[in-house]
Amino acid sequence: MTEAAIHTWEGETMQVALKIWRVTGDGERALETYEVEAPEWACLLDVLDIIKDRQDGSLAYRKSCRMMICGSCGMRMDGRAVLACKERMKPIVEAGHVPVISAMGNLPIVKDLVVSMDPFWSKIRAVKPWLDPGYDEADERERVRSQQQMNVIAKESLCIMCGCCVSECNSMESDPEFLGPAALAKGMRFVGDPRDQADVERLNDLNGEHGIWDCTRCYMCNERCPKGVDPRDAIAKLGAESIKQGIDHDMGAKHANWFVTSAKTTGWLRETDLVPKTQGILGALKETKFALKLARRGKVPPPGPIHVAAEVDEARALYDLVKQQGVDGAAGIVQGERALQRLEFEHTVHQDEPEGEQ
Amino acid sequence: MEATHDVLVIGAGCAGMRAAIEAHDQGADVALLSKIHPVRSHSGAAEGGINAALGNASDDDPEKHAYDTVKGSDYLGDQDAIEILCNEAPDDVYQLEHWGAVFSRTEDGRIAQRPFGAAGEPRTAYAADITGHVLIHVLYEQVMKRDIFAYEELFAWKLVVDDDRCQGVIAWDLLNGGLKTIGAKTVILATGGAGRLYKGSTNAYACTGDGMALALRVGVPLKDMEMMQFHPTTLSPTGILITEGCRGEGAYLINAEGERFLKDYAPNAMELASRDVISRAEQTEIDQGRGIDGSVLLDLRHLGAEKIVERLHGTRELAMTYALIDPIYEPIPVRPGAHYHMGGVDTDVDGETELEALYAAGECACVSVHGANRLGGNALMETITYGKRAGRAAADWALTHTTVTVPPGVESDAERELKTLLDRKDGERPWKIRDELAHTMHENFGVFRRERQMQEQGRIVGYLRERYENVVVEDKGEVFNNDLTQALELGFLLELAECMLVAGIERKESRGAHARPDDYPERDDEKFMKHTIVRWIGDQPVLDWKPVTVTKWQPQERTY
Repeated sequence: MTEAAIHTWEGETMQVALKIWRVTGDGERALETYEVEAPEWACLLDVLDIIKDRQDGSLAYRKSCRMMICGSCGMRMDGRAVLACKERMKPIVEAGHVPVISAMGNLPIVKDLVVSMDPFWSKIRAVKPWLDPGYDEADERERVRSQQQMNVIAKESLCIMCGCCVSECNSMESDPEFLGPAALAKGMRFVGDPRDQADVERLNDLNGEHGIWDCTRCYMCNERCPKGVDPRDAIAKLGAESIKQGIDHDMGAKHANWFVTSAKTTGWLRETDLVPKTQGILGALKETKFALKLARRGKVPPPGPIHVAAEVDEARALYDLVKQQGVDGAAGIVQGERALQRLEFEHTVHQDEPEGEQ
Repeated sequence: MEATHDVLVIGAGCAGMRAAIEAHDQGADVALLSKIHPVRSHSGAAEGGINAALGNASDDDPEKHAYDTVKGSDYLGDQDAIEILCNEAPDDVYQLEHWGAVFSRTEDGRIAQRPFGAAGEPRTAYAADITGHVLIHVLYEQVMKRDIFAYEELFAWKLVVDDDRCQGVIAWDLLNGGLKTIGAKTVILATGGAGRLYKGSTNAYACTGDGMALALRVGVPLKDMEMMQFHPTTLSPTGILITEGCRGEGAYLINAEGERFLKDYAPNAMELASRDVISRAEQTEIDQGRGIDGSVLLDLRHLGAEKIVERLHGTRELAMTYALIDPIYEPIPVRPGAHYHMGGVDTDVDGETELEALYAAGECACVSVHGANRLGGNALMETITYGKRAGRAAADWALTHTTVTVPPGVESDAERELKTLLDRKDGERPWKIRDELAHTMHENFGVFRRERQMQEQGRIVGYLRERYENVVVEDKGEVFNNDLTQALELGFLLELAECMLVAGIERKESRGAHARPDDYPERDDEKFMKHTIVRWIGDQPVLDWKPVTVTKWQPQERTY
């Protein structure tokens, strides 16, 4: 078969340029520029393939399914984690941009775009990532669970373990031992599973050092997850579930608890009480200097009679409703997610109605 | 030798992990070995579901499942193997659920089942359209629970055979470089398919037929290698899979004239006919000028946004990413693409091959339950049931035998061969050979097969093999040298192509995926209701035949 015939298969082509941070096994780094002809439909991964084939066989990166399901090709484009197989290059080429490709963050680089996933998997293993059904031998042939019950872990079940969230995790950057978004989402996948019988034990483990309360809520994991797992939301669900189970010894949990108590009793967030309620009186005393500094700049409301919102009843009613409906804990967040999804989707359907496309 | 194990499983997709779990539970010391991390395996890309006669959506039973499978195989499947699969399937699926698989549910909370092609009942248990993903992760969870060791990113290059039995494997260590020898009392091949032989393929880059080639090179025969399934709905131009679950949920296939053209090919089953029938129908429409840019259209619009978002979320994501089309509003252009190898390492119903202590399971094996055409949803089921059976048989053998010997010359021979390859400085890089192989296989050994084209392809593959003799690996380094492993994979693929062609040319009939419209348009049970068997002798494939096992179902005319 001629080159021209092969060309026909590929369709129209474009010139693509990339800058790639090459890293040798010994850790030497160099930013190299490559320019190749690629089909217009090419994704980043296709372009890397062309570079490896035609320009430099030593370029190292992982790949397999090229359809966003195996999780092999996590890397950074212009400093943000992506799956190389998901990023179409045409808009980037049209914008005249030359993206910089580098290995994922927060994981040791092996070579070029390949990182060691060992730290990633050891954290996954740390959350005991298998179902604990509470029996050794099942006594029923088929276990019955409603779709609604199973929906609780719909998003967490989508995780492909690519590491993009871990790459972008700000907490992990300052505390490499932080369990991190992927492992915590995996934890939620079992805590939220109506078939799992070890949720309290799991929650106790996840409330330990380097656990859920060490997340800074920067939302970068949600932002960069290529599969819509939303790991930060999973961490929030674990927090809510912990408090529901009375596992609230961590400062993070106390902090969250005070938000609820404050809103329920006054309809406001009483910030002056937040520190002592979270850190305890002794802990709060250590912050005196900082508090005075804030006060000098007028950032602290005056102490005195507790200010109660005019419509505090609304806040209380809301609180009671959540309790009555049993949607405290993770269930509330899941309910919210599904409501948002429906909303988004009715919106798109609605838009299309004038076309009569239904 | 690095280490020895009772059972070493090469490949860690659904079949490999299921085999490892079973062997472990039988008391054997097991390890997995895979060129990619287990959860990266291509089983995870299976979308639509797994077939078992649970009877949750209709009155179903294993016998109906078996009949559909026999008919679907165009009477080339071994009926004893099919009956075992269908009988064991329900409990094997419940087992997966008990381990934690997140299946979609019926109204009353049981495992949901959807209609699939050529199935008389809605029998395909599913997890939305990410069933393979859900299964591969639940199996890996069980592997972690049992603390089964996995040699990750080791590329299996040669089987060690001594005393007429398989005793281990020699593998290239991708992360650190160097060859490693892992001894084992039994080896199970579970390396998946060889779809990378084709340009338009649903298969991952990893699907290079390694296990089949490893077996072939130690004298173990391959069976029914001409039987490559073309999936009717793959995205143009990349070949990315769009699940049969779309049609299971009610999607239409339409041609350029807006007609549901299957009325002319499968008037009863329409879009739910078997894959070989639909792929041929599509190719005929395209060849006769009723396609659109070499594709036909898969129309989901009438299913409504809610169903698409709930049950075909992954499909929508794929279409939006790779075709820039939202199937809620627009039909998806699709065409037939290489998808699944019905053929593979010839095994019995316990995964045993002709070589003692060597087993095979999953797509790289040919038991054969799929015959000339696999039904959608039967592949995942086969990985589980036959993975389990191979794991059990291998553990049984290993626990009753004690020694492992790797003869001293084996490792040094491999080192020398590798050095020759790495030392070569002048020659051709593998990619041109790889691309030419993939393009020409698609042209000449695709949905339809013609004598002239098959002969031509035989010459092309011969020529490519000559060029491969001088192939150059550009990366000479130790760390993550997949330039080297990709060259070795190409060597595997070239030999498998030879096997497919020799079998395809000699099967002078049309059966399942092997369609010869010009010279032998009919099935010929008298002469060809038998398996092709290919052995590698000298440097060439040599063809032989083997009877099909018939239990209850005599061949009948096959219409849908």
